[in-house]
Amino acid sequence: MAAERRRPMTKQEYRQMKKAKEKLRRQMEREAWEAARGPMDMPFFLLAMILLTIGMIMLLSASFPSAQASKDANYNPLYYFQRQAMWAGLGLFAMFWVSKINYHRFEGMAKLGIYISVILLVLVILPGPKENGKLLGISHNGATRWLGIPGMGTMQFQPSEVAKVGLIVFFAQSISKKREKMKTLREGFLYHVVILILMCLLTVIEPHFSGAILIFGIGAAMMVVGGIHWGWIAAGITGVLGAGYLVLFTDLMQKIGYNAARITVWRDPFGGDLEFQRRYAWQTIQSLITIGSGGLLGVGLGKSRQKFMFLPEEHNDFIFAVVVEELGLVGAALIMILFALLIIRGFWLAINARDRFGSLLVVGVTVQIALQAFLNMAVVTNLIPNTGISLPFFSYGGTALAIQLAEVGMVLSVSRQIPAPKAK
Amino acid sequence: MAYQAPRPRKPQKAPRRPKLPADSAKKAKQIIQRRTIYLLLLFGVVTFLAVFAKAYDLTMNQGDELKARASQQQTRSTTITASRGTIYDRNGTILAISAMADTVFLDPKVIQEYAAELDVKRAEALAKGVKSGETLPMTGQEYKDLIASKLAQLLGLQERDVYEKMERTQSRYEVLATKADKDTVGDKVRQFISKDGVEAGNTTGKAIQGVHLQSDAKRYYPYGSLAAHVIGFLGPEDHGAYGLEAIYEKDLSGKTGLAVTAKDATGSELMFQYGQVYDAEDGKNLQLTIDTNIQSYLEQGLADMIEQFHAANGAQGIVMDPRNGAILAIASNPTYDVNHPREIYDSALQQLVGTPKEGGAEGETVTLEEMQLKQWRSKAVNDTYEPGSTYKVLTLAMGLEEGKVNLNSTFYCSGGLDVDDWYIKCNNIYGHKNQSLKEAVGHSCNPAFMNIAFSVGARRYYDYLDAFGLFDATGVDLQGEGTSIFAPYKTFSQTRTDLASYSFGQKFNITPIQLITAQAACINGGYLYQPHVVEKKLDSDGNVVEQFDATPIRQVISEETSATVREILEYVVEKGGGKNGQVAGYRVGGKTGTADKGNTGDVIVSFLSFAPADDPQVIMLLTLDTPSRSTGTYVSGGNMVGPTASAIMSDILPYLGISPQYSDDTKAAADLTVPYVVGETKDGAAAKLNEYGFTSYRTVGGGDTVTDQTPVGGAIIPAGAEIILYMGEEKPSGLCTVPNVVGMSAADANSAMSNAGLIMKSTGATGTKGIKAISQSTPEGTQVPAGTVVTVQMGQTATTSD
Repeated sequence: MAAERRRPMTKQEYRQMKKAKEKLRRQMEREAWEAARGPMDMPFFLLAMILLTIGMIMLLSASFPSAQASKDANYNPLYYFQRQAMWAGLGLFAMFWVSKINYHRFEGMAKLGIYISVILLVLVILPGPKENGKLLGISHNGATRWLGIPGMGTMQFQPSEVAKVGLIVFFAQSISKKREKMKTLREGFLYHVVILILMCLLTVIEPHFSGAILIFGIGAAMMVVGGIHWGWIAAGITGVLGAGYLVLFTDLMQKIGYNAARITVWRDPFGGDLEFQRRYAWQTIQSLITIGSGGLLGVGLGKSRQKFMFLPEEHNDFIFAVVVEELGLVGAALIMILFALLIIRGFWLAINARDRFGSLLVVGVTVQIALQAFLNMAVVTNLIPNTGISLPFFSYGGTALAIQLAEVGMVLSVSRQIPAPKAK
Repeated sequence: MAYQAPRPRKPQKAPRRPKLPADSAKKAKQIIQRRTIYLLLLFGVVTFLAVFAKAYDLTMNQGDELKARASQQQTRSTTITASRGTIYDRNGTILAISAMADTVFLDPKVIQEYAAELDVKRAEALAKGVKSGETLPMTGQEYKDLIASKLAQLLGLQERDVYEKMERTQSRYEVLATKADKDTVGDKVRQFISKDGVEAGNTTGKAIQGVHLQSDAKRYYPYGSLAAHVIGFLGPEDHGAYGLEAIYEKDLSGKTGLAVTAKDATGSELMFQYGQVYDAEDGKNLQLTIDTNIQSYLEQGLADMIEQFHAANGAQGIVMDPRNGAILAIASNPTYDVNHPREIYDSALQQLVGTPKEGGAEGETVTLEEMQLKQWRSKAVNDTYEPGSTYKVLTLAMGLEEGKVNLNSTFYCSGGLDVDDWYIKCNNIYGHKNQSLKEAVGHSCNPAFMNIAFSVGARRYYDYLDAFGLFDATGVDLQGEGTSIFAPYKTFSQTRTDLASYSFGQKFNITPIQLITAQAACINGGYLYQPHVVEKKLDSDGNVVEQFDATPIRQVISEETSATVREILEYVVEKGGGKNGQVAGYRVGGKTGTADKGNTGDVIVSFLSFAPADDPQVIMLLTLDTPSRSTGTYVSGGNMVGPTASAIMSDILPYLGISPQYSDDTKAAADLTVPYVVGETKDGAAAKLNEYGFTSYRTVGGGDTVTDQTPVGGAIIPAGAEIILYMGEEKPSGLCTVPNVVGMSAADANSAMSNAGLIMKSTGATGTKGIKAISQSTPEGTQVPAGTVVTVQMGQTATTSD
């Protein structure tokens, strides 16, 4: 690099330069604005809306018996539905708002986002004088995963949900900047892996194992797409499969003293005595019974019997079981197809996005939806051991839904800048 | 193989070009695009296929199993017990009826868990501190104590026993009481375990955990042993095990109903109506042809007969309506109490249990089970025997029907007959000499019957056996009908000895029910009916579901032949060997029988009787198995069974509304009402007595008017009895001693009784020649008030077998 000292600029030259820069900036902004004014992708939008609608209906059906029986819900059968609907409204508003924003604005917020995410993840696990031994974190069922929303009363959110968005945006920005350097060990691999593992660890500590899996999955997928060396991909896949094999198909976990009841249940849900079943296998057993009750065509919308306190978390992690019971294999397959179409469309948008940042942003969001949908359905059908993962657009959880919809808004924002196919 | 030059690995290299930032960007984007396609395939296709495959497996392959689990936990099904049908006799008297009962059982495991839970709660409450007005939860031990004491009290158990069962904490089902009456016990337990059972002693304020009731029914048999072999009894789970209870199990038991209601996981009924109720269908009621009264006359008669003659193997009796095959009474002794079928009812059998077994191996003893089987056997239906002379009725009917004999036929008996290589003796070894057909039957003369059989011929005779239904079961609706044993025709026809033996009822085995069915055909005009004990099936509202009328099988002999048979059999009772079967005022036909039990030396004595002889409405066959030879009575059907037959018939016939018709010979036995003659003059009294049918009186004292009389006015006594009129003299108020009149002639017995101040009622045989008193209703030496009626059974004691 030649460090030739220039003569100082004259005032006029400086003004001219300023003017030229201003002009360029304006032109770029105009271009960007015009680009962002394109139509949003209707297939993706409609698929998301159809899933949201079906999800709301199924939530109403699944949740009313437990709402009616629950003191927390004031015995109001519509309690969960109403709250979910309110959040959905909020989320839709966020979705449209985000979809109007030129997504390149997020690029500048990526660093801030990842800082906020990490801070929130730390905040939730900070020890403190509260009853659960935390400073701010709120616990349910022995897991501290929630923080209160200031000024919103009892409303809560999971920092891990925020962290997913933060991670997606940050990785998209970072990877898109790295270009070919993604192949390198230090800048491409280690840099991202360290951040990813840090976030996963913070999540695992909560404990929120399923959240960590999702964060890891999203991050890993983005790294793969971003162009890390095949060797790392191969190593990663081998590592994940190997660990999976050891955990699921050997008795390694028992040997190291870990309570591997979930694995035992996964292998044979109806094994073990009644005591064991009630303690460890209840959710799985009830979920299987619920699904099996559905048969080909289901018992009919609203007619689930398993939702009457037999199936735990029936409006939450196990809502898909109720879907199968009421709508049958056919109904469930239709919903799976809708999800698959949404995901395929998402990846199609990623492929056609205007730039790398856009592609990676869409990949991140789509992978998140795909992973959650798959893992949720896999848990419900006992394809994998039980772990708490919610089903996008279906499971009860207001803030999560609102964030998901905002993410959909991000995808739509990217879709607006896809250059229209040239006329032949 | 031709040599091939190796291909260049990379055919061409792109021309080198300086790297530009735009190139790098483009390449990075290409990588992203390519790799996104992999993700698309993985997340858009592969994962969903995997999940779909699993969901398909769960819904389609494992669906049924999972649905079964679902309905098991989602539904509560309660069985609705169907009420078992009632069994009535022909008059509607209840013979068997079901009433609601409860089984009370503990779930010790739940009790243990609940007690532990109580202890925990109590500890928590103690830790918190008890505020005033609050009560501590009871301890687990107090809870157990409450259950033990209350249930012991309600169920009539020892508390210790309840504790013992409660301590089996791994068990889920410990029965405390079965068949507890619902009203008096079950409902009280129910109240106690309910949440609001404070008054019943439930001080917990909550429903008692771990005590359960199960409703079922208890079967009551109001008459105990009456018609035990007909009714049968129930086995485990209240299924009919024997008798009508078993044969008509399907009809009686009805259909158990089921109430299925949906529930949520907490056990509450669902707000939706998923409930489905399959109504229980109550069992059908049976109305029998059996008449409780006739049955009891029969059973009493059998019991008396067994006791009197020490019969080693009991007795059986069947009373049938010959016009349709309806069985009015059927009894077998030894018998059992239907309410306790497994207890040995007969004391003699009971004593046998545990004693060394006769003919058994060394050390083998009689078991309870053997005795149970013995008392459950119906000799009338299950067992076969060689019928002996009562069977001769059939040979007679065959001979008459075939026209081989008629009322004018005569027979000569020399005391026996040569048949092939055998000399078959008559019961009178000196021979009956010349005799008419009637006389021959009256004598029960074996050579006469052999000759009748020979004249019929082996082929026709064998065909008649078939026609009378002796080769087949009668099809009576009673359990375990025995199978008759006959020689096959081939063997039968080879010699004349079989035919000869058959003619007087030996060398083959049939059941009493087969014999009486065939005999009924001989006297009812020739029609063989299928015997039956169930007349109707009724539904629970009393509507007739099925009616069993007379089922004629075939006509075996003509009406004329049948009339002749009746005439001859009436002669047998009137003048022949069956005199002991006479019933005063009735025309009775009959036949005696004494049959060898193979070559054991033991016999079965029997008596067939029917009445009225001209129009039979009732036919009865009694057999007495192995009577003792040392009772002083010559062993024969006429001597041993005839009097009982007479006694039973004299109860049955008036009961059936058949009015007696007294001839000059028998009118002394007719029952008349004594007029009130006190205050009358002697002549006036005599006239009045005569008007009422009494001819015999004597006066005591010398007054002008009658001051007292024995028996008092209104008493019902035989017309032949002597009335004592007291003319001013005081009527002796003391007791009279009953004299012994057994062995006296009727006249002697009558005067002995009246001398003692008693009135004799004579029953059974009439006439003078050889007729003597054979038993009296009140034993000698008994002190009774003056004017008491003593029934004396008259009969003859022949010294030949019949």
